[in-house]
Amino acid sequence: MTEGNWFWTVFVREVRSAVRTRTYLALGLVTGTVLFGLAYAGGGPAGGYVPTVVDTLVAVEVLVPTLAFAVGYRAIADPATRGELDILDTYPLSTWSYVGGVYAGRALLLLTIVVVPLLALGINVATTAGPETTVFASHRGVDSPFLFIRFIALTVLYALSSLTIAFLLSALAGSRGRALVLALAGLLVLTVGSDLAVFAALDTGVTTGTLGGALAMTPAGAYRGLVFDQVLYVAVPGRSAFVPTWVAALSLLFWWGLTFVGAMLATDAA
Amino acid sequence: MTGETYLTANEITKTYGDVTAVSEVSLDVPSDAVTGFIGPNGSGKTTLLRILLGVERPTSGTVSYSGPDAERQLGYLPQRPTFRPGFSVRETAAFYADLVDDDPDRLLERVGLEEVASRPVSGLSGGMTRLLGIAQALAGDPPIVMLDEPASGLDPAMSRLIFDIIESIADAGRAVVLCSHELPLVEETADRLVVLESGRLVRTGSVESLREQTGGPLHETFTALLEQDRATIAAPEGEQA
Repeated sequence: MTEGNWFWTVFVREVRSAVRTRTYLALGLVTGTVLFGLAYAGGGPAGGYVPTVVDTLVAVEVLVPTLAFAVGYRAIADPATRGELDILDTYPLSTWSYVGGVYAGRALLLLTIVVVPLLALGINVATTAGPETTVFASHRGVDSPFLFIRFIALTVLYALSSLTIAFLLSALAGSRGRALVLALAGLLVLTVGSDLAVFAALDTGVTTGTLGGALAMTPAGAYRGLVFDQVLYVAVPGRSAFVPTWVAALSLLFWWGLTFVGAMLATDAA
Repeated sequence: MTGETYLTANEITKTYGDVTAVSEVSLDVPSDAVTGFIGPNGSGKTTLLRILLGVERPTSGTVSYSGPDAERQLGYLPQRPTFRPGFSVRETAAFYADLVDDDPDRLLERVGLEEVASRPVSGLSGGMTRLLGIAQALAGDPPIVMLDEPASGLDPAMSRLIFDIIESIADAGRAVVLCSHELPLVEETADRLVVLESGRLVRTGSVESLREQTGGPLHETFTALLEQDRATIAAPEGEQA
């Protein structure tokens, strides 16, 4: 047996489990309803891709980590509580294979819940918006399906980072009750607390000159900044990003990598 | 019984803050034999078992494996095995079997669960769940199998069946270690006993040798040994027999 076989065995079990859980189907339907509802309430689909992103961005910024925590908050806490981790300790299964397999399975589930409604929304825009939205932009100031694809790609990165944070908290929890409390606290910090902390720091060293960089250090701030820079401002001539793009991109990758390693170490210690 | 040592624990101590769960325990686990850990609740049986398994680290002391080369050295049945809901018995066995390239049907046949292979794990009785746990513990043919209270809370027939399976596991050449309060069944099945109290190893030896000390069945031997031990602890220095 190789690491790849172990990873695959764990991954397949996660996917099977997800397919058999109807709650996840309901989550997907709710996500689709919320996104379409907000987009149509704002009139985005008739206006084009960029107006649709504007209508849904705030909701996606909160919805994605909420879904990530719903999918991941019990991912490690449950097997730890059941004693499954102790049993698996007696198998030649590395922590990487186990956490990686569970993560990959749940990431596939999360991305299905998030990306399918967004793709459906993009297709809806393509079929309902004006003729200018079919243009593939080669310069600033033009709406384009590429911008919506970029929005989806950045949302995928944000979702994967949110899921690893949920995994880390789940691995640290040790019980289902604590996993729920940590997940709610983590969600609050991720969606609201981190931005508030940056603004609070304006009194203690963060200046208006470094505010963009500070905002890019938080997952939500980095995602928001990247969407503004790579999607919204592309269609608005003369506007530039409010966060440094490379800092924001590295920040999301850093959160993803750091919390994934943290989740593995915490699972090892559980 | 070849008497070959598969596992050696040397001066194992485990403390949780001020509480000492296991105190300077040294023992060998031989092959082809059932070693039974007995002792009152809180005597450190489960903690010692988990340290031998490697799922818990001792505060001091060492555990060394000297059995044959194996992809999986130790099999483990926890006290209350719980399996992931939403899967059938066969799927559950297949998950563990796949991790060590084993055949799930062989494992289910080994414990007599082949007839309920398609049943969801949530629909199993306590005894059947325990049997599935033993099937999982046997995946990959580990040379040592450790079982924590394999028959607690089960009816006499199911307890008997589980202890028969345990005996057959040892007959197949494995070393079996079990913790149990089912003293009559342990007496019939175990080749060697380790008596623990308050985390300390009070006595170790064959069932016969321990029985000779009191002349009665195991539960009387067990009670007598613990009483002797308590009297030794309570007696002032210099007055011990």
